[in-house]
Amino acid sequence: MKKKALSLFLVGAMALSMIGCGSKGEDAAKNDTQAATPSTEATTQEDEPWSGTLTVWSPQEDQDTNWLQDQCEAFAKEHPNWTIEFSYGVCPEGEAKDNVAKDPEAAADVYMLANDNIPDLVAANALAELGGSYLDYVKSTNADSIAASVTYNDAVVAFPFTSNTWFMYYDKSVFSEDDVKSFDTMLEKAGEAGKKVSFPLTNSWYIEAFYAANGCSLFGDGTDENAGIDFGGDKAAAVTEYLVDLAANKNFVNDADGAGLSGLRDGNVAAIFTGTWDAQGVKEALGDNMGVAALPKVNIGGNEGQMKSFMGSKAIGVNPNAENQQVAMALAAYLASEEAQTAHYEARNILPSNINVTLSDDPIAVAVGQVMTDTSIMQPLVKSMGNYWSPAENMGKNIYSGEVTKDNAAEKTEEMNTTMNTDIAQ
Amino acid sequence: MSKQNKKPLTAARVRKNMVNVLVHVFLAVLSFIWVLPVFWVVLTSFRGEKGSYVTTFFPKTYTFDNYIKLFTDTSILNFPKMFMNTLIIAIFTCIISTVFVLSVAYCMSRMRFKMRKPFMNVAMILGLFPSFMSMIAVYFILKALGMAEGSMIRVALIIVFSAGSGVGFYVAKGFFDTIPKSLDEAAIIDGASRWQVFTKITVPLSKPIIVYTILTSFMSPWIDFVFAKVICGANASQYTVSIGLWRMLEKEYIDSWYTCFAAGAVVISIPIAILFMVTQKFYVEGMSGAVKG
Repeated sequence: MKKKALSLFLVGAMALSMIGCGSKGEDAAKNDTQAATPSTEATTQEDEPWSGTLTVWSPQEDQDTNWLQDQCEAFAKEHPNWTIEFSYGVCPEGEAKDNVAKDPEAAADVYMLANDNIPDLVAANALAELGGSYLDYVKSTNADSIAASVTYNDAVVAFPFTSNTWFMYYDKSVFSEDDVKSFDTMLEKAGEAGKKVSFPLTNSWYIEAFYAANGCSLFGDGTDENAGIDFGGDKAAAVTEYLVDLAANKNFVNDADGAGLSGLRDGNVAAIFTGTWDAQGVKEALGDNMGVAALPKVNIGGNEGQMKSFMGSKAIGVNPNAENQQVAMALAAYLASEEAQTAHYEARNILPSNINVTLSDDPIAVAVGQVMTDTSIMQPLVKSMGNYWSPAENMGKNIYSGEVTKDNAAEKTEEMNTTMNTDIAQ
Repeated sequence: MSKQNKKPLTAARVRKNMVNVLVHVFLAVLSFIWVLPVFWVVLTSFRGEKGSYVTTFFPKTYTFDNYIKLFTDTSILNFPKMFMNTLIIAIFTCIISTVFVLSVAYCMSRMRFKMRKPFMNVAMILGLFPSFMSMIAVYFILKALGMAEGSMIRVALIIVFSAGSGVGFYVAKGFFDTIPKSLDEAAIIDGASRWQVFTKITVPLSKPIIVYTILTSFMSPWIDFVFAKVICGANASQYTVSIGLWRMLEKEYIDSWYTCFAAGAVVISIPIAILFMVTQKFYVEGMSGAVKG
C-alpha cells in the first residue's frame, strides 16, 4: 500500500517537475554554462569574498560519523575569503530524486545522489553541469565506467565518490579461489558440501548478469538509445534455458527477502551475490571464512561467458539554484576529493571511486575494483532503460515459478525482448 | 444450557447443532487467519536472530534487545525522537480535528441554511478524491507560508492532518440525526442557546461517535506516510514514525533493523491502545434513558 502510494507520489512529483520546468528550461541552460565557466578558474584565481549559507544533504551516517561536518569545516578553512554557514539535511543517495526533484529551489545546494537518479534530476533542473578542471578531475581519477555513470546527454553532472554494484561473498571453507571463478563449479562444490549457492534470480538488477554473460547488450555500450535492448535471439534463449535448469538445481536457492544472508547464518548457503551494504552481516555470519570475489564465469550452452553486473555510482551533485555556484561547486569537488574519499572510507567503509586510492588489504575493495574493470557493464541512464526492469523481473519470477520451461524458453525470451523494446509511453 | 440438554434430540436439533459447529469452526479459522499477521509481528519483535528472512514461524531465541535497541540506538534512526514528534502531532490533531468534525456535523444536522445541501454535496464529492492528490499543492502552499522548514514542520503536519477533517462529518452527522430534535426544542424553550444545546445535550448523548472521531483522528498521524514524507523532506529531526519504520526496511538497514521494525510496529500501537482503553467504555453508553415516554 505504502509502495503504491509512494509510486503515485513519484509520478506526481515527476509530472509536476516537468510542468514546473517548462519555462525554466532556458534559464537552466544558461545557469549551467555560467556554472561551468567560473569553475575553470576556481582553483587558480583568488576567491572572491562571499558569505552565506550552504545547505548540504547527505545520508544520516555521514553526519553521525562527523565525516561531513569535518570535511565542510576543512573546506571552509581552505577558503578563508568565504564565510560559510553550513546547514545539513538528511537525504539518502537513492532518494535524491524524490527529495530534490520535488522542489529544486528549496533543496540543498550540494547533495548526494545515486547515479540512476540523474535523468530525473536533470529533468527537474537540479543538477549543474561540470566543466573545466572539475571535469578533468572526474575523468582522470575515476574508472571509465564510473565517469560514464555520471555522464548524461554528453555532460558530466556530478562528482562520483563511490561505486554502486554487487559482487560475490563466499564461504572459504567450501570454495577455493579457483572454484569461485566458475558459477557451475560452485554449484557442484556446494552440492558436495551439502550447501547451496544463492542468487537473486527474481531481481532484475541481478538477473541481467546471466544475459550479459552470453552476449546480450543494453543500448550498445549503454549510451546508444537507438540501439535498444538486445535480449533476443538464440543467445538469450540459451540463457533462459540455463536459468530454467538453475532454478531446478537442488544446489541453488533463490535469494529473495534476505534468504541468502539468512542462509549464510544458518550454514545452508555457501555463496551470496550482493553489495557492500551486506558486508557486516556476511562478516558476522562467516567470520574468518568470509571470501569476496568479483563475478564468476558461467557456462551457457557450451559457451564460457563472464557474468557482468550493472555498475552505477554514488555521486555529489550541485544544485543550479544554489545562490553561489562557484562555492557550491568547489565544495562538491572537495567532498569528492581524494582526501575526503579516504576519510569517508575510514569513517564508514565507503569504497573510494578515486583510482589513486589503493586499498589492497581490503578484500572487498579489491573485489569491487575487479568488478569495476572486468565484470560489469555501465547501468544505462538512457530513458528507455525504464522499460527493462519489469519484463526482466517477470522473466526471473516466471522461471522460478516454473512457468517458463525449456520448451517455451525461446518463445518467452522473445516476448520479453519485444516488451523491453516497446515504449509504453508512446 | 442444561435446560436445552434435557430436550430430546430431534433431527432438526441435530441439524441445528451441526450448522452451529460448522459456523464456529469457520469463524475460528477466519479469526486465526486475521490474528496471525499481528501475532507474527509481535513474535518477530521478540526474535533473537537477526535478519529479515527466517525459515521457522516461531523464533529460535527470544530477546528484549530489539526494544532496547529501538530506544537507545539513536545514531542512525532516532526512533524516540520520531515517536515524540508523532505523539505531539497526534495529540494536537486529535483535539483540533475532533472539534472540527463535531462542529461541522452538528451544524449540518441541526441548522438549516441555504448552502447546506450544496455544501454537503461538494464535501461528498471532494471526499471521493484521494487526499494525496493535493499533496504537492499542499507542500507548495506550506512552503510559501514558511512552514516547510525546521520545527514549523510539526505545525505544518498538524494543519495537514486536521485542517481538512471537517469535511469528514458524514458519519457524525448521521449519528446526530438520530438524536430526537424534541430534546433540542425542549432545551431551547428552557432558554438554552445553540452552544448550550450542543455541549449540554448533544455531546453527552453522542459519546460513541465522539470516541470514534477521537480514535480515527488520533491514528491518522501514526499511519500517514505520504504527507509526512513530502513535508519533512530532508529534515530528519522532524520525521514521524512511519518514515522511520519505512527507512528501517531499506536495503542498507533491513538486515540489522528488521526485528526492531517489528518492535517499532508494536510500540506505536501502545498510545492508540491506551487511548482506546480509556475511551472504550463510552462506546457502550448510548442513548439509554434520553427520551422517556
